[in-house]
Amino acid sequence: MIRVKNLSKQFRINSREERLVPYDTLRESMVKAVRNSFARIRGNGHSVTEILWALKDINFEVNPGEVMGIIGPNGAGKSTLLKILSRVIEPTTGRAELYGKVGSLLDIGTGFHPDLSGRENVYLNGAVLGMSRREINAKFDEIIDFAGTERFLETPIKRYSSGMYVRLAFAVAAHLNPEILIIDEVLAVGDAEFQQKCFAKMNEVINSGRTILLVTHSMEMITKLCQHAMLIRNGLLEKIGAAPEVVDYYQVTSESHVEAT
Amino acid sequence: MSSTSLDSSPEASTVVPPLPVTTTEAPARLRREYKLPATPVVTIKATKSWLPLNLHQLWTSRELLYFLMWRDIKVRYKQTLLGALWAILQPLVMMIIFAIFFGKLVRMPTQGIPAPLFYYAGLSLWTFFSNSVMSGANSLFGNTNLITKIYFPRLLIPSAAVGAGLVDWAIAWLLFIPLLAYYGVGLTWKIALILPLSILVTALALGTGILFSALNVKYRDVRYVLPFLLQVWMFISPIIYDSSIVPPEWRRIFLLNPMTGIVNTYRAALFGQWINWWAIGFCSVLTIVLLFASAYAFRRMEKSFAELI
Repeated sequence: MIRVKNLSKQFRINSREERLVPYDTLRESMVKAVRNSFARIRGNGHSVTEILWALKDINFEVNPGEVMGIIGPNGAGKSTLLKILSRVIEPTTGRAELYGKVGSLLDIGTGFHPDLSGRENVYLNGAVLGMSRREINAKFDEIIDFAGTERFLETPIKRYSSGMYVRLAFAVAAHLNPEILIIDEVLAVGDAEFQQKCFAKMNEVINSGRTILLVTHSMEMITKLCQHAMLIRNGLLEKIGAAPEVVDYYQVTSESHVEAT
Repeated sequence: MSSTSLDSSPEASTVVPPLPVTTTEAPARLRREYKLPATPVVTIKATKSWLPLNLHQLWTSRELLYFLMWRDIKVRYKQTLLGALWAILQPLVMMIIFAIFFGKLVRMPTQGIPAPLFYYAGLSLWTFFSNSVMSGANSLFGNTNLITKIYFPRLLIPSAAVGAGLVDWAIAWLLFIPLLAYYGVGLTWKIALILPLSILVTALALGTGILFSALNVKYRDVRYVLPFLLQVWMFISPIIYDSSIVPPEWRRIFLLNPMTGIVNTYRAALFGQWINWWAIGFCSVLTIVLLFASAYAFRRMEKSFAELI
């Protein structure tokens, strides 16, 4: 079960300096410290940064065993939400409670190293995703079988075709066993045959009673896999409800959005 | 992220014993398998600026630390011609140069220790330290894809990088054994101190590496400053010279550098000489303080890593 209360995330953007990079150099920090203290004396400090709310006051609950789809245009804050729930970044205000062990798939092949072999990467990726060595040992054959890359177990994955790479990566991810699964559009991988396999595996995972949060741009996937869906636009939770309704609402309103602009 | 599997989760099993489920059953039946824990397993909210170190969490994720270390070691020697031999070669070549120039030509004092041994002891220790600090400091950049995609204790990344250097350290030691035999250096009980000293120098490398890895994310100057800083650090430590050439009135200040105590004691332990217990005690305290201070500073900065990197 997932419970999110008044969750907001703020990003600071430097507007005055038109910076392309978010990090500082020591020199800049020193210059800024001096400049800001002068600015404060003159009484016009704090004008350098502009605040952007990537998410504003998000509230929702996902019941145990429920599959919740998240849709919305690019840059709406969907990925920010998933990153907060995966604990990669911190919210500015509000809270989220997760009742159960969380597995998050914001990308497939997280931690894959090009120089390591297929076998080594399965272990590495599994460990990074939170599996113990015992778990990986137990599922190893199943993973390799699913990926269909037995012949290349000892080959460094930089020599894999991109199809083989994603198949192996998805195979590891698919054998993850958490109570709550957070997924960011990683499903549409490989050729048609493998996609079919992925879809079947996803269905199996979904029907196993896990709580799932799924971001995707594929409306077909939302209506087929999810009971409920939510629409996030401009950092706001615009609509939440039964999946087909939200999808319809999104399609209708995004057309009018396009017309309006 | 706990390492327990779903099926053995204590919360799930204590409420109602899970029904015996076979894999052939319809998946919909599995729905009843999970019971909600009474309190959230994870609560996410904005944290305060100073956080506890959460050593328990580090301990539960030791397997991941092991995997990250193992990856760093494997990757380092993949596709290298000489492989692990590089770990010996670097201090060996330096040792030959210093033994010729400082030993033969300048005739620097070495406490009666044969010059090659004297320099190899110092240089192999320093090579381990400086390589570990460098790879620790750059480790967060090498793992950007992990940091922006997945949650785990971030301290594991620089720790794994420093830990991976231990293999080089062990390999560099292999050359010591024939060297000691060749020069006929008799070992004393003090050789037993090598192990705690190795832990101490690892702790110092860890403290330094952790601190600079965090600073490196925020300030990109670090990658230019650090090699220079390490070079200066080497010259203010008795790596390629003996502490006896330092004027007595400066020796106290000299000891403020924890590396001084470590190198001196390290040589004394190897060659069975007098050990300044006061100095090594003091530098142990300094090292531990540095390690904890760095770890706290790292924890303070880590929450913004994914946004900055």
